[in-house]
Amino acid sequence: MKDFRIEREARGAIQFVRLSGSLDMYSFPRLETQLNALFQQAQYRIILDCADLDYIGSAGLGALIGFAKQAREHQGDVKLLRVPERILKIIELLGFTKVLQVFPDEAAALAAFGSS
Amino acid sequence: MSGFESQPIRCKKSTRRISLQAPGHSKSLAFIRATVADLACQVGFPEDEVAKIEMAVDEACSNVLEHAYAPDKPWYSHRDPELRLEVFTEGGQLIIEIQDHGAQFDFTKYQPPPLEEGIRKLQRGGFGLAIIRKFMDEVQYTSSASAGNTLRLVKYLKNS
Repeated sequence: MKDFRIEREARGAIQFVRLSGSLDMYSFPRLETQLNALFQQAQYRIILDCADLDYIGSAGLGALIGFAKQAREHQGDVKLLRVPERILKIIELLGFTKVLQVFPDEAAALAAFGSS
Repeated sequence: MSGFESQPIRCKKSTRRISLQAPGHSKSLAFIRATVADLACQVGFPEDEVAKIEMAVDEACSNVLEHAYAPDKPWYSHRDPELRLEVFTEGGQLIIEIQDHGAQFDFTKYQPPPLEEGIRKLQRGGFGLAIIRKFMDEVQYTSSASAGNTLRLVKYLKNS
């Protein structure tokens, strides 16, 4: 069980947020704080790199779609990158991938922002 | 109640049974998920089904913490909130009993809006019970003044 960690990196107008560990009821308030801080700086183009994520619960997923909605209202989005297969299967099954865009690689995620 | 969340998790494990007692705090969730997933894997569920069981248990325990132990509810303030889990196999089923002594809430009578609708409307939450029902084969709830509340989740091994 890894501790939940968040690392941020700005690349031009895109904010990369790397997540590792478990995103559950305990940890998701920390992600909320980080994303709220970005929104307060009018940073609405966000890529969440999930390559090192172990788990995501509905509290985390609910927060993500809420933030995606808020970002889209400002011509931005919250996109998911490199979601591990085990998590991807679950979020596809639940239907979250109908409203959250998921990309296997960085170039595709960046291109999606470029064309939006 | 100060410091209850730092009390140790007590866990007895065998190859087919877990008895677990943890502080009623979200810090306990990662250990609970990992322990239940480990047993589900040992008794023969494939990885995809283990992931569903893990999520259903996490949602059920999170609901207890959010609702049964909500600070505004008149739960038994003379006790520290705790989660008790009994996880075992019986007749080709994995049975997970989650017990709390917080406010009563009958999961079986509450009908949440369909998951798809909430997601389509980009709702921030309220998915927990729909996820539990989607991923488990049976969901039963009982409550009594002496034993507290028990949510019983069942997953059939033969379907997996």
